[in-house]
Amino acid sequence: MAKTKRTGIRRDNSVGDKVFNVVNITFFTLFTLICIFPFYYLLINTISNNDLVGKNLITLVPKGIHFSNYVALKDVADFGNSVLVTVSRTILGTTLMVLVSAFAGYLTTKHELWHRSLWYRALVITMYFNAGMIPWYLNMAGLGLTDNYWGYIIPGLVAPYNIILVKTYIESIPPSLEESATIDGASAMKVFTNIILPLSKPILATIAVFGAVANWNSLQDSLILMSNSPQLYTMQHRLWMYLNTSSNLAAAMQSGGSVSSGMLNTKVIKYTISMVTIIPIMLVYPFMQRYFEEGIMLGAVKG
Amino acid sequence: MTPVKAEPVQSKTGGRLYILHRVAILLACAAIFYPGFNPGRITTQINRNVSLFTASISYSSLVSNLERALLRGWVQKSTFVLLMLSSLVIVIGIILCAVGGCMSVGNRRMQRAGLWFPLGGSVIMAGGLAGIYMALVQIVYANTEKVPACMPMGFTLFAVLAAAIFFTTVLLIIADRRNKTALEEKMQMQEKYHLFLLLLPILALAFVFSYLPLWGWRYAFFDYKAGGELTAANFVGFKWFTILFQNETTRGDILRVLRNTLAMSALGIATSWLPMAFAIFLTQVKSKRFRRFVQNFTTIPNFLGWVIIYAVALAIFSTDGFINNFINNILGGSANTNYLMSGSHMWLKMLLWGMWKGLGWSAIIYISSITGIDPTLYEAAEVDGANRFQKMWNVTVPCLLPTFFVLLLMSIANVLSNGMEQYLVFSNPTNANTLEVLDLYVYNLGIGNGQIPMSTAIGMFKSVISVILLFGANTVSKKLRGESII
Repeated sequence: MAKTKRTGIRRDNSVGDKVFNVVNITFFTLFTLICIFPFYYLLINTISNNDLVGKNLITLVPKGIHFSNYVALKDVADFGNSVLVTVSRTILGTTLMVLVSAFAGYLTTKHELWHRSLWYRALVITMYFNAGMIPWYLNMAGLGLTDNYWGYIIPGLVAPYNIILVKTYIESIPPSLEESATIDGASAMKVFTNIILPLSKPILATIAVFGAVANWNSLQDSLILMSNSPQLYTMQHRLWMYLNTSSNLAAAMQSGGSVSSGMLNTKVIKYTISMVTIIPIMLVYPFMQRYFEEGIMLGAVKG
Repeated sequence: MTPVKAEPVQSKTGGRLYILHRVAILLACAAIFYPGFNPGRITTQINRNVSLFTASISYSSLVSNLERALLRGWVQKSTFVLLMLSSLVIVIGIILCAVGGCMSVGNRRMQRAGLWFPLGGSVIMAGGLAGIYMALVQIVYANTEKVPACMPMGFTLFAVLAAAIFFTTVLLIIADRRNKTALEEKMQMQEKYHLFLLLLPILALAFVFSYLPLWGWRYAFFDYKAGGELTAANFVGFKWFTILFQNETTRGDILRVLRNTLAMSALGIATSWLPMAFAIFLTQVKSKRFRRFVQNFTTIPNFLGWVIIYAVALAIFSTDGFINNFINNILGGSANTNYLMSGSHMWLKMLLWGMWKGLGWSAIIYISSITGIDPTLYEAAEVDGANRFQKMWNVTVPCLLPTFFVLLLMSIANVLSNGMEQYLVFSNPTNANTLEVLDLYVYNLGIGNGQIPMSTAIGMFKSVISVILLFGANTVSKKLRGESII
């Protein structure tokens, strides 16, 4: 977002100015370090010699680098399962949410729509008002969506905030494009797939990125809805269980037969699992950052 | 289906009947997804969470509780295959009815063609219901105590709906034959209805997941235990609401979590200027590369879930974490404190974790606003002899205030909703007293302890107060800025 030239800052060379610069840069360097260091610390503890890690001897530099901990994770049966759940819900849930948001956003821009403003408001209000967690849970149970994989996907399909973003974006597309297609006899669906979808790619990418992150980090719905189906726990839910009780992890490791691989150390495996949930976000972050920033700006325009 | 402007020809009586017809079809469509109305729950042994729709597509969920009964031969597999096929037939019938219902908003030609669908659909539904009845008879004849037969409430409901759809369709067909006005040449539908039908599934989803839960508020007026039912016998009126205020322990709990909630929200609001300061000072750094570097790395924690933040907290602050390692290995001391197992200063600690996660990210919005500030403002200030700090205070800050103000109002409106994940992951026996916030309390009470009515009552209060706060903030915003925030 920072544009090429910083305007309005005259470079004074007074002592006060220099002191300010030094303090300023020191502060930001420190804060950035505090933001990065924990991940570095986790990383070096997962790739160092497991005995040294077990004796708490790895502090600042890795020793005896190896990657077998990451390979050994495949033996932690429950975790592999939860990775499948999370990855699949991230892909499926995000794709469907984006399609629904795009379609709803497009339809609500159409002035011909019967009682348009009523329906639009009905969608938007759900953002500001909800019945509360327990009635929501009871409703999900009544619909048979507890202990059911679809309980992750279906409630997230209609995301009012994303619908607003898409609608605002589509309204900024020149209407002449759509009009000419309509005159040529294209139906609403055809206009949507051939004109609106390709033109609104940037906003769709933005909501997709946010949706994917939310799915990846999902804990709450797994906790509330899937209490009787451990095979449907999300990755974050599993990680949380492992972090809380080492016995959970020990059991999982024993059932997976990974005791033989020398990973008796639950600390190492906790750190490794944490890294596995962090690394994908770290990897996609540089590519997605533009969309994150666009997203927050769009939200601000709306706000 | 090209858009037409002409009004569809439609007789008045037909119009009324059509509304009844469509309502019956809509109800049928909704009921197939609701397990309580499953007409195929012909024995109490069938999972109570299986809806007609699920039963029609998934044999395994239909018989999930019946494996033993089938193995022992108490009931025949063929009975349940019949049940599943019958369910599927009913669903197909209802889909046909729905197609007809959609066509009924078209022009007369389309309406006439559309009427055949619900006619056939309702007959098919009746066939499916007959199939379910046969399965029921088979279970009755099997006559085992382990798989008791029962007549589900949904059976009657679907029979009534099928009859209603059938008779309205017949009447509509008769009315249509009597109407001698000429038919249009092509089947057409007005664009406004066409678009509405396209939006309808999305509205239905929003209704089911955002509006229907409000119906769950009724649990607050019953003495409900998980797995039980709501009956006139356990209706208790406002009992839970009075307990909330009169029962000594409950009131104490509520006051405690409210204090935590408000204190942490207040701390958040009191520090809400920090992202703005962060942005202003960061943009004072000359090197673009450095700014980019800081921005990139300080925003990352925002995209990690609270569980991962907790993992980080463990890695740094627990007994075998970084701080202790650093003291022992680098400084040569001997420490083994678990900093997380302490209930002191929880409010401040939570604030700091929130800041670590969110400060860099919250600053982005201000950084973008600063880039958008008109450079002539700075030039004018320079001409007036303003130094760097005077420019920051007198130009940058006033330009950012509107954004700050909106965000501030929103955080005031959200003062009761600080979420539960952060507090849930950090909670342990030593800190529950000062950590538990309202959302977490409702979760612990309702999901953890199964006290559904009480937690629903508390949730109701929260929802209502939040809406009042939101509208209050909105009014303030309208008065002061002439713009609404919602």
